[in-house]
Amino acid sequence: MTGGSGLSAPGFPEAAVRERARSGTAAAFPPLSGYGHTLLGAAPGAPEAGAPYGTPGELLETGRLVPPVFMPRRLEKLIELGREPQHSDVDLTTDIGGFQAPLPLYVSAFGSTRAAGDGLGTAVGRQAGSLGLPLVIGENVLPVSGYGRPGTASDGGGNAAGLLRRIRAYADELPDGVGGIAVQQSTEDADAEVWNLVHSDPHVQPLLASGRLAFELKVGQGAKPGLGGMTLVDAAEADRLADRYRVQDTLGEKGDVLRCSAPGTVTEEILRQQIRFMRSNYPRVRVWVKLFPGRDVDRAAAVAWQAGADAVTVDGAEGGSGWAPHAFLDGVGLPLGECLRRIAAGPHPLLVSGRMWEGGRVARSLALGARAAGLGRAALLAADEDPDRGLIRLTACLELELRLLVSALGKYAAAELAPEDLWPQPAAERRPDPTTREPS
Amino acid sequence: MSQLPPSPRKHLDSPRTRAVLRIQQQIVSAARDHLRALGFVELLPPVIGPATDPGGRGAKQVDVDYYGHRYKLMTSAIMYKQAALLSFDKIFCVAPNVRLEPPETCSTQRHLAEFHQFDVEIAGAGAQDAMGVAEDLVRAAVRSVTEQLPADLDVLGRDPDAFADLLAQPFDRLTHATAVAELAVLGHEQNPDAEIDWEGEAMLSRKATRPFFVTSYPKGSRGFYDREDPEVPGTLRNFDLLAAEGFGELISGAEREFDHARIVTRMRETGENPGKYQHFLEVAREGIPASAGFGIGIERLTRYVCGLDAVWEATAFPKIPGVVSL
Repeated sequence: MTGGSGLSAPGFPEAAVRERARSGTAAAFPPLSGYGHTLLGAAPGAPEAGAPYGTPGELLETGRLVPPVFMPRRLEKLIELGREPQHSDVDLTTDIGGFQAPLPLYVSAFGSTRAAGDGLGTAVGRQAGSLGLPLVIGENVLPVSGYGRPGTASDGGGNAAGLLRRIRAYADELPDGVGGIAVQQSTEDADAEVWNLVHSDPHVQPLLASGRLAFELKVGQGAKPGLGGMTLVDAAEADRLADRYRVQDTLGEKGDVLRCSAPGTVTEEILRQQIRFMRSNYPRVRVWVKLFPGRDVDRAAAVAWQAGADAVTVDGAEGGSGWAPHAFLDGVGLPLGECLRRIAAGPHPLLVSGRMWEGGRVARSLALGARAAGLGRAALLAADEDPDRGLIRLTACLELELRLLVSALGKYAAAELAPEDLWPQPAAERRPDPTTREPS
Repeated sequence: MSQLPPSPRKHLDSPRTRAVLRIQQQIVSAARDHLRALGFVELLPPVIGPATDPGGRGAKQVDVDYYGHRYKLMTSAIMYKQAALLSFDKIFCVAPNVRLEPPETCSTQRHLAEFHQFDVEIAGAGAQDAMGVAEDLVRAAVRSVTEQLPADLDVLGRDPDAFADLLAQPFDRLTHATAVAELAVLGHEQNPDAEIDWEGEAMLSRKATRPFFVTSYPKGSRGFYDREDPEVPGTLRNFDLLAAEGFGELISGAEREFDHARIVTRMRETGENPGKYQHFLEVAREGIPASAGFGIGIERLTRYVCGLDAVWEATAFPKIPGVVSL
């Protein structure tokens, strides 16, 4: 490739440099044309061509599940059942942050991305409800779509109705005794009062009364650790949001503007007190905390559990996103496997998300200490493939794989998976109790 | 008494309602006289603003379209009270507040979506000073009712002897930690890091023969404006006044955070976005007085004085959470 003068630089990322020279700040991001209908996310171990880094050796990517030859549990099961144990005998029911689920699976949040609009978010919710899988609803569904002038089509009331419609689509399909909804809110979006709105909605009361409502404090996300919510808005929308968000950094020629927020949970004491405040304000609601894969994720998880979180979710660097800069997708944050290696078991469940779509990765996550895995992009794609049955079929496939894998390891409950089931063995660097350690 | 109000006509036309509203007027008038005699200045309360008290326990705020900006109806005037101390050292207002309480509170008999407070703030005061003012104020209001309106109390079947202890004895003060321990003895499990739940408050209140203060709530149970005790981190210099006979909370008050950096930090700890409070924070950054203050729920105090089953009886136009009415 050459420019006007015929200058070239073999061996140097010339094309990328020329792209930046043409597009400026827009080149820090994936193509603007894909915004709203492309689900982004890092591909650990297989970075995009030209991407400078990957995460080779990542446990969840390259690790293998390795059954032992000798399986005393299988003999026990044979005695218990009086017949040869099968994969159908594996117990996959799981307590996920206070909710009962038929599988160690939940549907994780997709926020304001347009990809989740157009009925797709509702289609996912409906199918998750019929399966009894817990569902997380994204934190910026309400505030980004925005409160404008009450009474107009694009106002908060309308979008609040959208949020509540998602909840109802799920709840209408939900069998008794299983599942539950976790509604996210991040500190920077606290003025949207999403939780208060949900908490006081009459239609939500049955979920509340049956202990199937959780609020998830979003500290950050895997695709852009250290950054807050990030969306692309046009100039008119930017004006409307200027009250509450820093809207800056015009991208590309058409004047699209980057709407950014900064994560607000920035000290241990803030995290601890936010959790206590949630527990005090909403005593009948479960408290979940979603962490980004930061270098002190082990300590953050410990603080959250200690403050009373019913579940801690860790979104690995390979987690999906509607919008994130290349530099973050390619090279920021710990891969999920490393997070799992660092986090010591807590008193309540550890939930994980990031590239979950098939049984092997889910089983490896459980072996590394996770209680359940969240489907994000996979759930959206499945519902896009078939709005009525796509997620149901994807889940059935994943369930069969999980049953086969767990039984092959000579175990009969998802919760029995352990690091011994993995090769290579995760290095034993877990800190005994991060809460007793001074922060570095 | 039924759980929900009768028709507006029946409610307004009832001799009981008349007696209650006359007693309420007496309470308001006596409290005003009492505070003015102490040198307090009454301000007219703000009704809308760009931000209001985030409150707690899941109450939703009401949004108002203010020339395209999102304003709020006041859930309490807390930030305005602190700012008002730039004018006067001792202020109060009789303020209307709107809080869209969770629907479950429609059956507590003690929540209204629209209610009124005596909002009091005192520059340079500590929590103990504010408790002293609150105690004297309640006593003055109750004494005024028992002396001036015995016939109305009689209509309601309220025995004035119910206030013998209140009028004669100082109010007890127990810490939140002690209250939690007492509740444990009563067989009620109370989260030590949280606000005392409604059932717990009612249990403590039923045991008492006169109002009493619960002090020093844990951080995490209250809003950003209650001051954290610099000597006992994790504990707030605040208080509630609980009525006797199971009537529950009448007053919430506290020493206030007034240092700008502390306010911002506490906002974060309570899950709030400081950006939303920029107009108040701009005032605070240049300095606001240290202070303490409190708010008295006027309908709740009326309910207690009148011995009513439900707080909605203490208002002419009750707004029960979730119930649509006049």
